Amino acid sequence: MKITGYRVEQYLMKMDRLVGDANLPSGVEMLPGSIVYLDTDEGLSGISLGYGGAAIEGLFGLVEGADPREVVALWIRMNDFLHKGGNEGAVCAALSAIDMALWDLKAKLAGEPLWKTLGAREGRVKAYASGLDYCLSDEELFRFYRRMAEQGIDGGKLKVGLDLKADLRRLGIMRDALSIASPRPMLMIDSNEYWSPKQAVRYIRQMEQHFELLWVEEPARRWDYHGLRLVSEQVAAKVATGENLHTLRDVYPLIANHAADVINVWTGQSGVTGLRQIAHLAHVHGLQVSMMNAQANYMAQVAASLPNHNMMEVVDPGREHCLTWDHRIEDGFIVLGDAPGFGIEIDETKLKELQANPPTGRGKFPFPRREGAGRYIVPPAPGEVPWRSG
Amino acid sequence: MKITGVKATRRTGTAPAPAGSCCIVELSTDAGLTGIGIADAGVRAPVRRLVADMLVGADPRSVTGIWQRMMDAQSAGRRGSAQNRAVAVLDQALWDLKARANDEPLWKSLGGARPRANAYASSIGLSLDDEELSAWYLRLARDHGLRGGKLRVSTDENADARRLERMRAALAEATPEPVLMIDADHGWSVKQAIDRVRSIEQQFDLTWVEGVSRDRDARGLKQLSDAIRGAVCVGKGFATIGEFLPHLQRRSADVIQADINTIGITGALQVADAAFGLELPVTLSAAPGNIHAHLAGVMPHFMSVEIVDPVQATRLFTSDVRIVDGWAIAGDAPGNGLVLT
Repeated sequence: MKITGYRVEQYLMKMDRLVGDANLPSGVEMLPGSIVYLDTDEGLSGISLGYGGAAIEGLFGLVEGADPREVVALWIRMNDFLHKGGNEGAVCAALSAIDMALWDLKAKLAGEPLWKTLGAREGRVKAYASGLDYCLSDEELFRFYRRMAEQGIDGGKLKVGLDLKADLRRLGIMRDALSIASPRPMLMIDSNEYWSPKQAVRYIRQMEQHFELLWVEEPARRWDYHGLRLVSEQVAAKVATGENLHTLRDVYPLIANHAADVINVWTGQSGVTGLRQIAHLAHVHGLQVSMMNAQANYMAQVAASLPNHNMMEVVDPGREHCLTWDHRIEDGFIVLGDAPGFGIEIDETKLKELQANPPTGRGKFPFPRREGAGRYIVPPAPGEVPWRSG
Repeated sequence: MKITGVKATRRTGTAPAPAGSCCIVELSTDAGLTGIGIADAGVRAPVRRLVADMLVGADPRSVTGIWQRMMDAQSAGRRGSAQNRAVAVLDQALWDLKARANDEPLWKSLGGARPRANAYASSIGLSLDDEELSAWYLRLARDHGLRGGKLRVSTDENADARRLERMRAALAEATPEPVLMIDADHGWSVKQAIDRVRSIEQQFDLTWVEGVSRDRDARGLKQLSDAIRGAVCVGKGFATIGEFLPHLQRRSADVIQADINTIGITGALQVADAAFGLELPVTLSAAPGNIHAHLAGVMPHFMSVEIVDPVQATRLFTSDVRIVDGWAIAGDAPGNGLVLT
């Protein structure tokens, strides 16, 4: 079995609803999609979701003609090749995409789901709900978390950071919605780096007078290990961070400086191979990891195999237009089926339709940092969000 | 595929190393495949108990999850126990089954390309007088091209210097600049170790020193590392990933040694990823059949494998790993390549 070629398909999705955080509380509903196919001489193709672009061209030569079952060695080869320029930016996205598609192929060749190839005992991952919900009205917020709770999910992560009073009210709504799944739902917040460390401490400690928080995510900037450590030392909640770091190298200073209590992981961290390195580094240091949300929850395949994984973020905003998948959410867990590889299949007809007739809608992911970030708070203007009337 | 049972047989070989008397573990499955692991004879009882309690009915392809479950089930701090070594040998047999199920060599199941593992010779565990020592390293240099050697040092400074020179001279058959390492069997205090290593370093360039003083004393080993030129190598015999943590935090290890006989293949891979995060090289201590060579290709910061027995002199099994021109090279036989004889 040899890699013979690749193809990148890019498309645009309109999600079922808006998603937003402190940086853009009004939210966006448009999301660019990308699929990378790695083709082989035996007709089987490996796929990866979410990345792509021209940088693949520069790395493909390193895997062309190689056996995809040698994926870790190929990761090392790509990483060694990048030792001068660095495994960063678009190049890191390309490396991630290739690595993921290789793992998909390795599992498909063994005729088993990826969680089994990675050695997991069961394809089962605890889930928590995450609304990306700053743009939701109070009623929509309740409905989202209640729908999740009806599937047994007993933890929720709320977008916060711009308005303490509103955030406290919305935390209460989230807790009430989740309370049918647990008398004591797990509550988390995420400010997406909008605060300075000291702003975070002031804000979170006021929240903690009313709510017990399991973790606070990105309460300061991703590389600010002094600031993140300060937050961790001064609040009761754990500090979670890492989703905007991309390699083991980036994460190590956080761990060495005791700046993070939970490391957020995902396949954009240099692929399955790269994120597994991060998880193992965290594990040796006694830290847990949490998998980021993904289209069709495909990253649960990897989460199931990590020895220190706590729970995976489930968002469910409607990003599966041209995908079929093989899992269900049951009693608060993502339960993976036996379909080989990531268990994802592409509906090529729907993909071509999306490409031929791109949908239109409000805003587009990703969005920039909000004014004042890290210095002063700019609360939502009247009419900017549904919960602040115009 | 499900595990159906285990045979754990005590066998006595024809040569001392790696284990003149050993336990051959054969995990059987309902698919007709058998997974093999080799350990010391002391593991027989815990192997049988672990298989009965936790492995029968499990799918060996779930090896990393099974290893974690076995580790979680035993209390911490039982390092060096037969229980630890039983978990490790079962992990090896499970990986063997996972690879055999795919009809591919272990190195490929792990995700590696054909590994060419940088190898060094080690006489640790052999009782060799001066003449035998020279002959042994000469054989490994001439027949197998090994360019590095590790020597057990003692309380006799003069004897150590003499034997180091014998090792160096023998290895010079393979290379003008042999790689030299020492192991002191945890015999020295920190200050004594500093004194002794500095003294040796006046005559010899040491790549690393291991087992020189208590390997749980991270502060002391950091002091040693700061005081000598060579690297401090830590990790032989560690059975849990947690034992490595103080050395990562204190930077008291300059080289991480993983021992698949105590921490298993799964644990060694986790530790290797963590070491990569700190840019620390990873070396693998000797393993029966030299099956540790299979791991080299998936450790991003792999340094070397220790070779005590290049040809499986016990004659209890054959291995598909050959030691050629200073490299340990795994072949294409399915699984870990061990075949019982």
